[in-house]
Amino acid sequence: MSEMQKIVILPYRKVLQIAFQGLRIRLVKTFLVTACIALALAFMTYILCSNGMLAGIAERASDALQQRLAREGLLEQMLSTEQRSQTAWMLGIAMMISFAGIVNAMLISVTERFREIGTMKCLGGLDSFIVKLYLVESLFQGIVGTVLGIIIGVALAYAEGIGRFGTEALRLLPMNDLLKALFICFWAGVGLTVVGALYPAWRAAKMEPIQAMRSEV
Amino acid sequence: MQVETDSKNTAPAADVKGSTQAVSALTATHIVRAIGVRKTFRMGDEEVHALKGVDFKVNRGEYIALMGPSGSGKSTLFNMIGGLDKPNAGRVFIDEVDIAALNTFELAWLRCHKIGYVFQTFNLIPVATALDNVMLPMLFADVPQAEAQDKAVELLKKVGLGERVFHKPVQMSGGQQQRVAVARALANDPAIVLADEPTGNLDSVTGRQIIELLREINQTDGVTVISATHDYKMLSVSDRIAWLTDGVIERFASRDELDIKEGRTDAK
Repeated sequence: MSEMQKIVILPYRKVLQIAFQGLRIRLVKTFLVTACIALALAFMTYILCSNGMLAGIAERASDALQQRLAREGLLEQMLSTEQRSQTAWMLGIAMMISFAGIVNAMLISVTERFREIGTMKCLGGLDSFIVKLYLVESLFQGIVGTVLGIIIGVALAYAEGIGRFGTEALRLLPMNDLLKALFICFWAGVGLTVVGALYPAWRAAKMEPIQAMRSEV
Repeated sequence: MQVETDSKNTAPAADVKGSTQAVSALTATHIVRAIGVRKTFRMGDEEVHALKGVDFKVNRGEYIALMGPSGSGKSTLFNMIGGLDKPNAGRVFIDEVDIAALNTFELAWLRCHKIGYVFQTFNLIPVATALDNVMLPMLFADVPQAEAQDKAVELLKKVGLGERVFHKPVQMSGGQQQRVAVARALANDPAIVLADEPTGNLDSVTGRQIIELLREINQTDGVTVISATHDYKMLSVSDRIAWLTDGVIERFASRDELDIKEGRTDAK
């Protein structure tokens, strides 16, 4: 390993360590942010999966099921454009609320730690270190929240599908499409969190080190 | 991408170091030189003249106390010596480097390698152990971890906390936290330790211990100690005292004059 690689890798381990300890000590806040992401992502995953199942009915469902659904008029209702645009709106709102929650929680965490950040800058910490610290924190919360959300969302979608269509529900969404949906959800969740942390991280990095110097500030 | 930014960070460091060594070989008696320093802040429509032409020199290895009431410009001057703020007019040299000429990276380098800070409120990282706190400046200086750890343990022993290496700040008393802060200030072998009211949040006994610790590192390691203080205990160990009033240095006192002054203060 070259000198340069060592220099780059070691601080990253330390950044991870400090970020993780920061999350642990602010456990309640960490939990809230993670739960916020998990909820939004559970909703998104649920909608993508159940929409996928509905779309698969025409192609994959047995004749018996198709006849039953046609008789009950359920399928038409579920596939109506009105219903779909409504869920799209709800999904958008859920994502926005989750985004606002993340930005807010990260901003609070910046104000709470202004002295800590200022101290690090006084000791020679560069802006990039502070940004890394916040991004690593948000990345961790984003991954945990997203994975939790995806698990909940998939479980809900399949539970509902089995309730409606019986065990046939398991066949309606091909594995490929399911994985594609989960992939989209994962990156949406992680992306949402990291983008939400960008502004707070920038605010933290731009903080004047003088603020740590005086107790009365 | 990461490699690129980090190599950029180290590049100015080498420049500053090089020029510093070149110049300090020639002069080197003054670790800090402030010449005609002025600083004006805008507060709404009003202009506040925090410093009105301050001339201030600190010798290498000196222990100097900066005294003055709040609003005297003491903290402004202090921030400039610490490379945290730049003057509007006049120049400030730290180890013969003009701080006005430095960019953000170079100022961070200066703070990391040349200056050690001790704060009134200790300002340890609450989630980190004493060891990690002392290692933090070395992390910023890219010191390899094993080396940093050995040095941190050694420094903690030096300040009398060899038994409390893995304690967190909440598990320590104020005096112990300030000792960790002193060890942290010494992590990168700074030329200057800046102590901002280091005894302000301590009782008089622990305050005296911290003052003695600072004096000890000043004498054994030759580190220049500059301390902003209200604490009269600080005067008896200082080589020199500068009194700041209304943005100018009113007078300097050496230690010889000081004994009389302190006597007079006690008599009051």
